[in-house]
Amino acid sequence: MSSEPIERRVSYLGDRLMGRRCGICGKEYFEIKDYCGTCGRKSYGKMADIDLFYDKGTLEYCTLVNEPTNKFTKLGNFIYGIVSFHNGKIRVPGRLTDQMALLDKELDFSSLEDREVVPRFRRRYSVETCDVVPTISLAFTFADEYYPFQRYETVKPGKEYDNPGIVGYGAYTSRFRIKEEHIERSVPFIDEDSITAAVEAGKMALIHAAVDSSLVGKVYVGSESNPYAVKPIASKVAQVLKLGEEDEDVQGVDAVDTEFACKAATSMFKDAASLVSYPKSNIEYAMVIGADNSQAAPRDCAGGELDLFVGYGGCAFIFGKKDVIAEIEGWYSCTSDTPDFWRRDGEPYPMHGGRFTGDPAYFKHVRKAANKLMERLNLQVSDVNYFVAHQPNVQFPMRIAKELGFKEEQYLPSLQVAKFGNTYSGSSPIGLAAVLDIAKPEERILIVSYGSGAGSDAYSFVVTSQILEKRKRQKLTLKYQAENPFLEYVDYTTYRRLKNGM
Amino acid sequence: MHTRPAIVSVGRTKFGEHYEKEPEKLIEEAWLKASVEAGIERKDLEACYLSDYFLPITNKLGLEEGFLSELTELHVPMEVTRSFSSALSSACNAIQAGRYSMVLVGGIEKMTDRWDKIRDDLMLLEDPWSYYAGCTPEANHELMLRAYMKKHGIKGEDVEKLNAALAYVSVKNHLHAMKNEYAQYQRKITVEQVLKARREARRPLGLYDYAPISDGAASLILTSEECAKKLSDKPVFIRGFSSATDYLTFPARDDVTHFLASEIAMKNALKTAGVDRSEIDVVELYDQSTVMEMVSLEDLGFCEKGKAWRTIHDSCQDYKGYYEIDGRELFVNMNGGLKADGNPLGATGGAQIFEVFKQLRGEACERQVKSEEGAPKYGCVLEMEGFGTKGYVYILGGD
Repeated sequence: MSSEPIERRVSYLGDRLMGRRCGICGKEYFEIKDYCGTCGRKSYGKMADIDLFYDKGTLEYCTLVNEPTNKFTKLGNFIYGIVSFHNGKIRVPGRLTDQMALLDKELDFSSLEDREVVPRFRRRYSVETCDVVPTISLAFTFADEYYPFQRYETVKPGKEYDNPGIVGYGAYTSRFRIKEEHIERSVPFIDEDSITAAVEAGKMALIHAAVDSSLVGKVYVGSESNPYAVKPIASKVAQVLKLGEEDEDVQGVDAVDTEFACKAATSMFKDAASLVSYPKSNIEYAMVIGADNSQAAPRDCAGGELDLFVGYGGCAFIFGKKDVIAEIEGWYSCTSDTPDFWRRDGEPYPMHGGRFTGDPAYFKHVRKAANKLMERLNLQVSDVNYFVAHQPNVQFPMRIAKELGFKEEQYLPSLQVAKFGNTYSGSSPIGLAAVLDIAKPEERILIVSYGSGAGSDAYSFVVTSQILEKRKRQKLTLKYQAENPFLEYVDYTTYRRLKNGM
Repeated sequence: MHTRPAIVSVGRTKFGEHYEKEPEKLIEEAWLKASVEAGIERKDLEACYLSDYFLPITNKLGLEEGFLSELTELHVPMEVTRSFSSALSSACNAIQAGRYSMVLVGGIEKMTDRWDKIRDDLMLLEDPWSYYAGCTPEANHELMLRAYMKKHGIKGEDVEKLNAALAYVSVKNHLHAMKNEYAQYQRKITVEQVLKARREARRPLGLYDYAPISDGAASLILTSEECAKKLSDKPVFIRGFSSATDYLTFPARDDVTHFLASEIAMKNALKTAGVDRSEIDVVELYDQSTVMEMVSLEDLGFCEKGKAWRTIHDSCQDYKGYYEIDGRELFVNMNGGLKADGNPLGATGGAQIFEVFKQLRGEACERQVKSEEGAPKYGCVLEMEGFGTKGYVYILGGD
């Protein structure tokens, strides 16, 4: 679409799936209508907002699209149909996404019809590389497959803690995997990118935290695979998730993208925590997201060694002081100008500075940050229940964990790289999420991120009793995502195609 | 009493791919035929109503009125609308109001000049939200069929019968087109071809269920009643016409198993015409797909809801040239319909009117129905804009 104002209006409605319900007759519209078509003028002021973004619908009728219109050709074949919500009171057009194997089989449309579906936030269709990236939530997946339906209901907070910490979190990886030797990696579907992963992760963090999205006053999105060189992912996240109070069509939230290779997100944990602790900020909650469609050159090109490890996913944390599940005990960050890994502007793939990789970069910074923080907090290795490190591969985090004196039971639960690949900014956050999925009250988690360029952030979290109560709202755990029976495995060629996206 | 608008002559081009012809040539050809037939001169025209959907984008033309003015050297009022029926309804209103006594109505489209992008154009025109969600111009027809089957509880053997009935629609329309020198596809197809195309497409409908994209033009001379009687021995009067509209977003409509706009337009057109549905013998339906022909038979009230496929199935097993409905003969899409005659959007309605005009005057040559009884009395035309977003119905009849 060449007109940005049209794009803005289409995505405003389509990203969030907003509509209105007449307060008099109950008729619903997929549109921001000020009047009901049936009741007319007397319905003015009586139209209530409805939001289908967190809802589930039913695929009423469907057919196959195998000769798509031009902008959809990159999607290949897909199932397209009519999705109804609220027992047919509202009907929208929709495309089934995340399907490949299904389409190779004999199709029986009646076996797909009447099944429950959930809206997914995806790219709408392909455009020129210079255009605005169009997105939409008129893409659906079956509610009984990889991505479960989860209701979003806010809960009034009960307890205020002395220290800020994590109030809720969500981790999102895709349904597709590539399996090579001992490592499985998540592969984005063709309509996914770092923006869609950031939104999906943020959506699940809101569901888990059960906080009102209008109370989130700041959102940071860390990524090194933003489809834009200039234009934040955070603005999309803020708009779609309705962060901060909405005033006309503007969200009362500060949204910013951060960049520091793989520590772009972890770096902001302390900022988010500090912000919610500062009494005059008027910010109750702050969200930090790390999301990447990790880039790598094809295997036979320079920089192609990364192609064996890169994954796709995002992880979001909401920080606050109320109903905290893990309090921050302390932190330490260190930085040095070490060019071990970079991507120049305009280049599609990053490069490694061979001599700097490893000892002078990853190990030096992770070791320093971990040791310094434990020293400051006067912690012994035995005081830490879980150790989470940045995971560019399997060897690095294991080596540093052992070197620091951690045992397998302390570092293995966080080691997710062999299941999802290196999700760059999402890497150590996904490790932290995997630990939060299983941690018990009073347990201590030490997380040390690493970002090339180079630096590390170390944090110590102490889990609270609230984690148990909130766990029932966490359906998409890392274990669920890793061991899901609906995973679809792809070959190398398909993986490269999907990763390059629309 | 208002004067009745009358058609004194019609003209059209062959539909199909006019690779070498400019759009101006097509409308010129259609207009010349109509004007020669009516025996009128350019200067007799008091106004022109032209229709096209995509001419400015498919042919990078400027204002269509401008090239029509250049073509005719006329400086009279000219208006451009989308469908031929919308142009004709503006013309009818003007004639009835007594403003003009003779106008030209012309429709034109040259879709093949943009063959690689036309499906996107069509989809964005007929249903933008569905387009954004991934819809194709074909998918909505297939969803309507799925919904139709579900609503009317068509199961088991009946599914096969319904699928066969839809194949018959296409086969029948191709059969009709063989006698139409202007038709895009003057060739016979078989039921097996239709079914095979569906299997290959892996969808409920296949290539032979859909109307093609086409180039072509059509025109007619519309006059007041008094004027018509001077010009022609047997003018065809527009006895009644009406149109209705429906939601742009197809899935948002209350009932996705039929076209409400067609139903309403027919009801009102019959009322203004003072004609009973049973007096109508020839019908031109807007069969962008075989499903549309089936559903439209019901929307216009010729068949009961959920029953048209049985009528089609029973009539076509041993096809005699018409659908048999309660012992009555209904001649549908004698020119081959959009399926075989062609579907150059802005001109399509003109070809439909052309056919009914010829049939009512007994001038349809090999296609002529009821020739022993001296031509049918009333005919009816249904044209749509978008996927049922607008429905236009015209009831035509002689004096």
